[in-house]
Amino acid sequence: MKVWSMAACLAWLAFACRMHAQTLPSEPISIADGRVVVSGDVSGTVGTVDPGFFNLTDYDHSALRLMRVDVSATVNAGDHFAVLGEVRAENLDELSPYALFLRVKPWTAHDITIQLGRVPPTFGAFARRTYPADNPLIGYPLGYQYLTSLRADSLPETADDLLRRRGLGWLDRFKIGNQTFEHGLPLVNAFHWDTGVQMHAATENNIVNGTVAVTAGTLSNPLFHDDNNGLQYAARMEFRPVAGLILGASGARGPFVSAGAATAAVGEGHDREFTQTAWGADVEYSRHYMLLRFETIVSEWRLPVVSEPAIAVPLRAVSTSVEGRYKLAPGLYVAARLDHLGFNDVHGTTTTAPWDAPVTRAEAGIGFSIQRNLLLKVSHQYNTRDGGPLRRVEPQTAAQLVFWF
Amino acid sequence: MILGCVALVSVVSFVCVPQGTQAARPGTIRGRVELRRPTSPVERRPGVAELGSPAPRDVPNLLRSVVYLESAPRGAFETEEGGHAIMDQRNETFVPHVLAITTGTTVDFPNSDRFYHNVFSLSKTRRFDLGRYAAGGSRAVRFDRPGIARVFCDIHSHMNAFILVFSHPFFGVTDDDGRYHIDDVPPGTYNVIAWHEGTSSDPKAASVPDGGIAELDFTVR
Repeated sequence: MKVWSMAACLAWLAFACRMHAQTLPSEPISIADGRVVVSGDVSGTVGTVDPGFFNLTDYDHSALRLMRVDVSATVNAGDHFAVLGEVRAENLDELSPYALFLRVKPWTAHDITIQLGRVPPTFGAFARRTYPADNPLIGYPLGYQYLTSLRADSLPETADDLLRRRGLGWLDRFKIGNQTFEHGLPLVNAFHWDTGVQMHAATENNIVNGTVAVTAGTLSNPLFHDDNNGLQYAARMEFRPVAGLILGASGARGPFVSAGAATAAVGEGHDREFTQTAWGADVEYSRHYMLLRFETIVSEWRLPVVSEPAIAVPLRAVSTSVEGRYKLAPGLYVAARLDHLGFNDVHGTTTTAPWDAPVTRAEAGIGFSIQRNLLLKVSHQYNTRDGGPLRRVEPQTAAQLVFWF
Repeated sequence: MILGCVALVSVVSFVCVPQGTQAARPGTIRGRVELRRPTSPVERRPGVAELGSPAPRDVPNLLRSVVYLESAPRGAFETEEGGHAIMDQRNETFVPHVLAITTGTTVDFPNSDRFYHNVFSLSKTRRFDLGRYAAGGSRAVRFDRPGIARVFCDIHSHMNAFILVFSHPFFGVTDDDGRYHIDDVPPGTYNVIAWHEGTSSDPKAASVPDGGIAELDFTVR
């Protein structure tokens, strides 16, 4: 039923955009001489069923069967202050606040910005361009979307517990902590933003820029309210030696396990010891009609060691993706992404295996601009998972219509 | 907006013959276009996902209008010869914001910024995509069909411009005060239209005397 609802929404969107091209906004809505600016992104995606949950996001929706509405706004108060926010609804559910922060520019002559509130992700490159119009394909990179079996509030007691949940990150629980079945967490969560303070600075010509942030959650588990009395520290540096080339490096470290789960595992006073540490590197190169992107993330989690066979910490995951887009003609492009997510081995009583099932995805697609701000994408992806009880090979096809203003 | 483009294409494609004589001296149509409600520049989309503040940018000059003859005198097409025009990309703005040219003209799009731009148009008049190129680079596009091409940058969504392509040379672009003049118009009576940011005025009749001046003012928007 929901699929038909989404298909109906998609058809309505296409119809509305064509019929009301004269009246639908094609540019941001500007109020009060530009002091308030509102923009929106609407996308409807229909795709094949995903019984292997390869494309499930932490909003519990498949990225390939999704109606998404984003509304962003900025309120500018002079040269030094702005308030920015974004609300989002997926599959016509209730609106959720995605971002809300104060942007302060202390000096107009220097490119230094401080942001406070629910701020954009400091780490990595992809998390700040998840909008459908910015993503040349329909699926997301595995490192930012695929749900591993790890949770911050529910912990495995032994290595055997962990190995039993391989490939089941879509719905998960362990013996320690929260016993409610919920989804696991990705390496980096691109769909929830963290809360804290962030400072960005750039050289005059923006050849080098850097950002540091202190936030309540972690990359996997961004939070509005801290759950373990520990803060995450994140940093990113970008180097732009020539036009079209961006070299980025990121790092982050913060307590990952919730205070409740840590206490249940090893008693009180240890919740800051169980951390997520991640390193990332990314490259973007564009020239003429070509755009290439590479990104890799190494993430390590330290979990409490409770019983034998003990989990050898840290647990490590490595995500690597390569993406390319080439414009064939005005308004028409082809794109492809190759993506792999791997995990280090842990030793159980009878087996030694990666602590979660490695996943590989190849996705290719085309995009066609019906008009400047109305884009139709079609893509096909091929997913494989090396382990777990669910389907291990899954081809997926999806179509997405994107409207933005 | 799209209807406006179609209308321009169709009207300038048709030629009607006014009562002019070959021996007559050409005249001028001049006047002023008053903007009832000036257009606001397109704002940047809220950069919610950006880590820093956006750099200052130039604001396009939105005071310019284009005034043109709805129908061209006989012979207007015989001297048509496409030249070169320039639409610069400077501080995240197309300069000029409005460019009026004749068919056959080649427009150069130099990039005067330190960063990439990607000029494109999906207009029926001329569909093109120049790809990404850096400072000092330039690409050219020849316009062979009359009509309006809406030009954008694929990287900076607030960058936009208009290129009005005429099949005759009888048009003028206003200055910042709204004043225009169309020179070398053979004597006769013509329908004249003022265009501003996608909105066209109703046609007004102008009678150009032999070697004289016809005054014609407009109010648009």
